[in-house]
Amino acid sequence: MIKMRSADVAVIGGGPAGMAAAAAAKEAGAGSVILIERDEELGGVLNQCIHDGFGTKVFKEALTGPEYAAIYADKVRDAEVETRLEATVLELTEDRVLTVLSEEGMETIEAGAVVLAMGCRERPRGAIGIPGSRPAGVYTAGAVQNYMNLRNLAVGRRVVILGSGDIGLIMARRLTLEGAEVACVAEILPYPSGLARNVVQCLEDFNIPLFLNTTVAEIHGAKRVEGVTLASVSGMDVIPGTERFVPCDTLMLSVGLIPENELSRQANVSIDRVTAGPVVDDAFQTSNPGVFACGNVLQVHDIVDYATMEAEIAGRSAAAYVADGTLPEAEIQIKVGDGLRYVLPSHVSGLDAVNFTMRVTKPDQNRAIVFSSGGKVLRRLKQQALSPASMARVRLGKARFSDTREILVEVGD
Amino acid sequence: MSETTTIVCVVCPVSCAVQVEFEGNGIIRTDHNQCKLALEYVNDELFDPRRTLTTSLAVDGGAKPLVSVKTDHGIPKHRVMEAMQSLSGLHVQAPVHIGDVIVPNLIGTGADLVATRNVAAA
Ligand SMILES: Cc1cc2nc3c(=O)[nH]c(=O)nc-3n(C[C@H](O)[C@H](O)[C@H](O)COP(=O)(O)OP(=O)(O)OC[C@H]3O[C@@H](n4cnc5c(N)ncnc54)[C@H](O)[C@@H]3O)c2cc1C
Ligand code: SF4
Repeated sequence: MIKMRSADVAVIGGGPAGMAAAAAAKEAGAGSVILIERDEELGGVLNQCIHDGFGTKVFKEALTGPEYAAIYADKVRDAEVETRLEATVLELTEDRVLTVLSEEGMETIEAGAVVLAMGCRERPRGAIGIPGSRPAGVYTAGAVQNYMNLRNLAVGRRVVILGSGDIGLIMARRLTLEGAEVACVAEILPYPSGLARNVVQCLEDFNIPLFLNTTVAEIHGAKRVEGVTLASVSGMDVIPGTERFVPCDTLMLSVGLIPENELSRQANVSIDRVTAGPVVDDAFQTSNPGVFACGNVLQVHDIVDYATMEAEIAGRSAAAYVADGTLPEAEIQIKVGDGLRYVLPSHVSGLDAVNFTMRVTKPDQNRAIVFSSGGKVLRRLKQQALSPASMARVRLGKARFSDTREILVEVGD
Repeated sequence: MSETTTIVCVVCPVSCAVQVEFEGNGIIRTDHNQCKLALEYVNDELFDPRRTLTTSLAVDGGAKPLVSVKTDHGIPKHRVMEAMQSLSGLHVQAPVHIGDVIVPNLIGTGADLVATRNVAAA
């Protein structure tokens, strides 16, 4: 027997984005808000991020991941959000019916509005196709973080890291502190893909070499990893003669995150080719009215505070949608110009100020992010340093949207 | 004579490349930092480099096997490994609450090691 019930707002995923969205929806007046998390506790990826550096924007101090999560778990409780743990959303229909599986069995929930907050998963090894054998000892960085920080399991003695993503850098330090040897980090790009902060405090502090323009050309070992062949690359091609063997018992991959959007697709939500997340307006509403998205399922965030801020807007929008049955049209189009990979949101109502978030295509210095409409500059924000590793965030006041149909955003001078 | 250098603030992911002008053992001016948290960090980095140590410890009798911990202040950078070694084999008894002092005055640095996670008794 499948139980049926309804809720004003259903939030899928209990990480920082889902917690903030649920509390905000409730505070904005939604009658019943249900927050569904498949794990045994709220917090999402923050539970395994035991390092500090969370909350400098919202709380003006550097908290650890679990501390930041605990503050929002308390908010969720105080707001009287109904929280369901160890409950997985298996299905989401276009008209907002959720199928949830938990110990109590299957249940369907008809929601007045849905907030998608499922976060990201890591890109697996298959996604980058390294030649060689398939021995034990190859892990993704997030899996190692989970084993070491939540389960007290060690992975290896001598580690090579492929990819300079933030999780990999954070884990290079963590492994070193726990007594393992990190031989090196190999990055195929000419610049690190993680943040400058993590290159400094996780690699330079411990004299761990970072090889740019370098990849793992082959994995060696029958049962267990015995070493890897590193090679220099030009573009994506290995330069012959640069191959060298590095002994190790573990290869850790830190090659990026992919938003987890299977449910979004089921609900017929349009997905952006570049972000791999839903297309949204400034209320964080997707192409399917009544369905909202925020946090890492929308775009990969490096700063949790900004994920929280966008989630609070998404939660309030969901409550408003339930109350009014519709939200204002967002008809001003945002065009992505030179030097940018994407800009979010992609269309705005013009009724409120908007914090645009974006990533640049390549590292640059002393440039500006320029907003213009019909050749007229609306805002130019000087940027001392731009890096694809850091999300840029620029606010446009409400007054800038008057008499505009289309706004171009680009990197300029 | 004052000197100028650039220090990446590591306090949060923004990673501001802070320009500092300093003379002797005092900072005259900083630029390019988004917030004030950079001031203490940059000062320490120039004259007495410090890091917050975060790690996790085994829990006995808890609903979870580990509790995460941090130093409540930065400790001298060159003593981070020594601090880690002093914690090897240490077990904490559940329940543990966020903010509980696990090791006061860690290896004489003046910083307390505090819990950053709640672990209920099993
Ligand atoms: C290694 C690492 C280091 C970081 N360091 C910092 C830092 O120092 N400072 C900082 O500010 N930020 C940092 N960040 C960024 C920050 O952690 C993220 O921006 C933030 O966690 C994103 O939150 P989220 O809620 O969108 O996703 P998540 O935290 O991933 O939460 C998503 C949740 O949804 C649940 N879920 C998914 N699908 C379903 C389903 N079908 N049914 C039920 N539940 C589901 C998942 O179990 C999970 O709990 C770091 C991130 C990583 C990975
Ligand atoms: S100056 Fe402030 S915003 Fe910039 S990295 Fe330091 S803590 Fe973060």
